[in-house]
Amino acid sequence: MIDPAAVEVALPRTDVAGTAFRPAQSYWSESWERLRANRVGMAAGGLVLLMVAIAAAAPLLAAYVVHHNPFGIDLYATFSPPSGAHWLGTDEDGRDTLIRLVYGAQVTLTVAFLSVTVSLLVGGTVGLIAGFYGGWLDNVLMRFVDILLSIPAIYLLILLTILQPKIGPVQLSTSDPRSLAVIIAIVSWGGLSRLVRGEVLTIKNRDFMLAARSIGASDLRLVLRHLLPNVLAVMIVAASLNVGAIIITESILDFIGLGIQPPTASWGNMLTNAQTYFYHSVWLVVLPGALIFITVLAMNLFGNALRDAFDPRLKS
Amino acid sequence: MSEPLLEVQDLHTVFSTKEGQVKAVDGVSFELNAGETLGIVGESGCGKSMTALSIMRLQRPGRIVGGKVMFKGQDLTRVSEYEMREIRGREIAMIFQDPMTSLNPVYRVGWQVGEPTRLHNGWDARKAFSSAVSMLGRVGIPSAASRARDYPHQFSGGMRQRAMIAMGLTTTPHVLIADEPTTALDVTIQAQILDLLRDVNREFGTATILITHNLGVVAGMCQRLIVMYAGKIVEAGPTADVFAHPKHPYTWSLLRSIPRLDAETHEPLKPIEGLPPNLVDLPSGCAFHPRCAFRVEKCSRDVPALLRVGDTQQAACWVTQSGTELKGG
Repeated sequence: MIDPAAVEVALPRTDVAGTAFRPAQSYWSESWERLRANRVGMAAGGLVLLMVAIAAAAPLLAAYVVHHNPFGIDLYATFSPPSGAHWLGTDEDGRDTLIRLVYGAQVTLTVAFLSVTVSLLVGGTVGLIAGFYGGWLDNVLMRFVDILLSIPAIYLLILLTILQPKIGPVQLSTSDPRSLAVIIAIVSWGGLSRLVRGEVLTIKNRDFMLAARSIGASDLRLVLRHLLPNVLAVMIVAASLNVGAIIITESILDFIGLGIQPPTASWGNMLTNAQTYFYHSVWLVVLPGALIFITVLAMNLFGNALRDAFDPRLKS
Repeated sequence: MSEPLLEVQDLHTVFSTKEGQVKAVDGVSFELNAGETLGIVGESGCGKSMTALSIMRLQRPGRIVGGKVMFKGQDLTRVSEYEMREIRGREIAMIFQDPMTSLNPVYRVGWQVGEPTRLHNGWDARKAFSSAVSMLGRVGIPSAASRARDYPHQFSGGMRQRAMIAMGLTTTPHVLIADEPTTALDVTIQAQILDLLRDVNREFGTATILITHNLGVVAGMCQRLIVMYAGKIVEAGPTADVFAHPKHPYTWSLLRSIPRLDAETHEPLKPIEGLPPNLVDLPSGCAFHPRCAFRVEKCSRDVPALLRVGDTQQAACWVTQSGTELKGG
């Protein structure tokens, strides 16, 4: 005799419908979960956001909180140490250090984020095209990048800031943060394009690209809808790690007098005369330097956290 | 019989490599009729996948250097890339071997299954998604409405292959090319997917080209069968006849090498001697002759053409064309 209960068990289950249900989690939301769990990374990201907020609110701070403006010369109060009137002291012209640092943040952060955006756009596009099409186009583009990367960046930067070339209707000039951002981007997109190209090469031969082609997707659609979302994470991580390097580059340019020109304040040019004043007005050296250090460190920590969150090799 | 739906005539696809030119597809001709299931069988590297990709013009980096692919009065090897894109996914759909990597990991399954209808029918995202949900239901995805919101990594291999089939069917194409659709799946899932393909063939009237190295799959699925070796068709005919009386020694060896449950316990398996040929440097004459148990002197000298042998079959073999039966243990 066959036990009916045993038969019951052996029959295929028809009610499996709901049993396998899990909430849908995308690559992006999973990465966000991981990022949120990284306390150092989140703190660093928060610090960067705070800097951006302070820089954006610079005019408000000048008018309602600090009650100084960054160009307000007061020759009776040069080199005054931190006090009630000037919370972070004054410089050789009696200008308020705090508000100059806030306006300097505006310059530095504008240059950094704009520059990284431009180099992402240029480097990303070149990398996508070179990797996707391959062949002679890849060769031409990548040899150009090789040449670009072989010229010392500082030499190229000095050349660009001195020549101040005209690109279309835009005159690149170093007194304008936006121009400076473009100049730095011209020097820094090469590495990004190589990175993106390498990533594209590994992804373009995956089966889902062929599958997308087989349903009639055009090249443009393949690149923008299927390839780009798969390399975006790598691009974001590389970009965030680049921000710190760009801040340093910008500070160096300002410091050697090729970047943002006085009287516009930037963290870099605030350091320019600092060595002369170091012995009697130490805050003029320490404050801009510390801000550069903290911002770059925060950006790098945040970039590392992003990498850990996105990196598929660390995924379970 | 009416006009065939798809007619491949003397197709040649080559690759350029450092060692020389590889003739991946070397003069392949066959017909596919509306509603039928045609099997293409052969070892890895015999050109069966490349034949399928060439039909879709997805053979890159290979090049089609000769022949025609006639479909609805057009030669697909000559239409513009734009026209070809309109045919891919709308008229001819393809399913790939490895369902684990055939879906884009960053998109929800429903989005991807609906993509062909967005491309070809001009449907908006919502309409495409709801059609994807109903198609996922029809290919046997339980609670399709919620599973369509999942990402590919949340699907099992069998479910992904079902999703791929659903994606192929959303535009109700006339031809479905399944390239080793069950090879990457485990045996129980294989049977389910084959059942599904059979149902699809019956329900939608989609003509199917089933590419496989598994003769058992062909036996259960296909009315007709093509056997390929080294880029050429070596035998073609109705599945039952080819299985009963193979007319090419390669087919004969393949059928003999299948392990049988009714064999004697200690009877050793019978592999085909030798290795598949190097496609850059093919043997002279018939490419199979170094491994052939029936070879005669002529085989190493002249290339046999694919000719009628028997009532229903075709074979490219000097031995059977001269009337010899393939026998022996």
